[in-house]
Amino acid sequence: MNGRGVHALGWLAGMGVAIGLAFVLGSYHTDVYRKMLIWVAMALGFNFLFGVAGQIAFSHFAFASVGAYGVVILSHQLGLPFGLAFVLAIVICGLTAFIVAIPATRLEGFYLALATLAFSQLVRVTIDEGGALTGGTGGLANYRLPPFFGVDVRGPWYTVCLVLLVAFTLWILTRVDASWFGRACRAVRDNPRAAEAMGVDIARARILVFVMTSTLAGLAGIGYAYVDNVINPAVFSLENSFLLLFMIIIGGSGRHVGAMLGAVVLYLAPFALEPVAGNHYMLVFGVLIVLAILFRPDGLAGLLRITRPGKAA
Amino acid sequence: MSAPLLQVRGLTRRFGGLVAVSDLDVDLGRGEILALIGPNGAGKTTTFNLIAGVDRPTSGTIVFDGRDISRQPAHARAALGLTRTFQHNMPFAGMSLTDNILVGRHARFTGGLVDVILGARRLREQESAARRKADELIEFTGLGARVDADVSTLSFGEGRLLEVARALVSDPRAILLDEPAAGLTGAEVARLARIIADIAARGIAVLLIDHDMRFVLPLAHRAIVLKFGEKIADGPPRDIVNDPAVIAAYLGNSAGAAHA
Repeated sequence: MNGRGVHALGWLAGMGVAIGLAFVLGSYHTDVYRKMLIWVAMALGFNFLFGVAGQIAFSHFAFASVGAYGVVILSHQLGLPFGLAFVLAIVICGLTAFIVAIPATRLEGFYLALATLAFSQLVRVTIDEGGALTGGTGGLANYRLPPFFGVDVRGPWYTVCLVLLVAFTLWILTRVDASWFGRACRAVRDNPRAAEAMGVDIARARILVFVMTSTLAGLAGIGYAYVDNVINPAVFSLENSFLLLFMIIIGGSGRHVGAMLGAVVLYLAPFALEPVAGNHYMLVFGVLIVLAILFRPDGLAGLLRITRPGKAA
Repeated sequence: MSAPLLQVRGLTRRFGGLVAVSDLDVDLGRGEILALIGPNGAGKTTTFNLIAGVDRPTSGTIVFDGRDISRQPAHARAALGLTRTFQHNMPFAGMSLTDNILVGRHARFTGGLVDVILGARRLREQESAARRKADELIEFTGLGARVDADVSTLSFGEGRLLEVARALVSDPRAILLDEPAAGLTGAEVARLARIIADIAARGIAVLLIDHDMRFVLPLAHRAIVLKFGEKIADGPPRDIVNDPAVIAAYLGNSAGAAHA
């Protein structure tokens, strides 16, 4: 069988298992599984921004909240048809990301991190002070995903939607990563001066990648909004942005497999660690991260490395 | 006769009170190898940076292929077919050798992210054309044995060849080489000289700056000598070496004499 066939079979098998799980899990495990899928989608996008394009940004959860609040406010608070609210929420994420990107991507490293931290706080304050529209610190609840063309998407079928969200995110990012644009992103990360000399418009590449990954975060946020049918500012807090960063570092920065592994392991770890270590499991994370940085800079993905060094996953 | 590919007129760059390059004219024709030489501090690197687009002139114009590029950013110049190598190798450390070279092809891809995501057919054709070109250049530069190596393990000379391949993969019309022989062994220098002659034979204009006269003069079709930012000679290498002003500039300067 050729490489393409193996690749297609891998996708099919992965999708089969991921969708199959949706139908066999009980209600408690379904909740865990759905949130894990959201984390995987978030980690994939953030990995592209941080691991592939080298942008240290902490705005990923802020954009997820823009997506989640956007769709819930537009469809349930303002009464727009769900399809329209969905599209508008995504457009709002893209536009917001574009506005943030223009000044922010001129900045590098530490300064970009600060600018995106400031943006995250701005979003948080806006939600907190949004009164009845955003539900303030208490958030929004008592809404439901409306029937889609007469079909009520709930139970395992909603979980399938989240599997498709992950697949869609992975598909887009894999395509982009393997293209001239993916190479340009890695080149800008590794050596901006040389990238520019090779014809890469650095500012344009940085803006595009920021808008693309932030919009994907918004999409994941929309997916999250209907997991519990509750959204509140705490879910999109900065702590989660840091956890996302840890997932990428432990999983293996710059590789899709790494992002997914990191998300699954770090999301599920507290469930295993809490009975043993109680609330101190964060301490275990900390030690793991230090070990990862010291001994395995290519993370968990490095342990099952199948491709050549430097090659994209 | 048609206008030269690259026409620099009245190029001047001041840093505060210092005039690094003064009223410089440079012509570079298709397939020509032009050496820009001169003792340390003559303004070679400043001139190089102005032409590459890393720095902007105080006054003067740079016309490439009939287009004034004096104020264009470096990436736009590369896209127009004016590429460069770095004196200190600048590989993309986290990427494969082939991908390093393919980055140089960036400007030749048309269409946006939507085409990428939808896998447009034109894009697939561009990608395979780019890969064919990269493979050809790996062969041309003799990097074939190192194609699977981590680029951080390349020797300095191999790194320089990677720079050359990366600058050629977009089929540029002119290539700027910043001290290409610096830091290379004798055998590597000889090999690089053959490669540069081949590049020019393909019709690509080559502008190289270097202060190693032994490397530059046998290779160049023409040389321009700079001293304190001013052109003191412009002509075929055999005339340059006998030019009294050049001899004085080099022999009167211990740094230059060491290389001459």
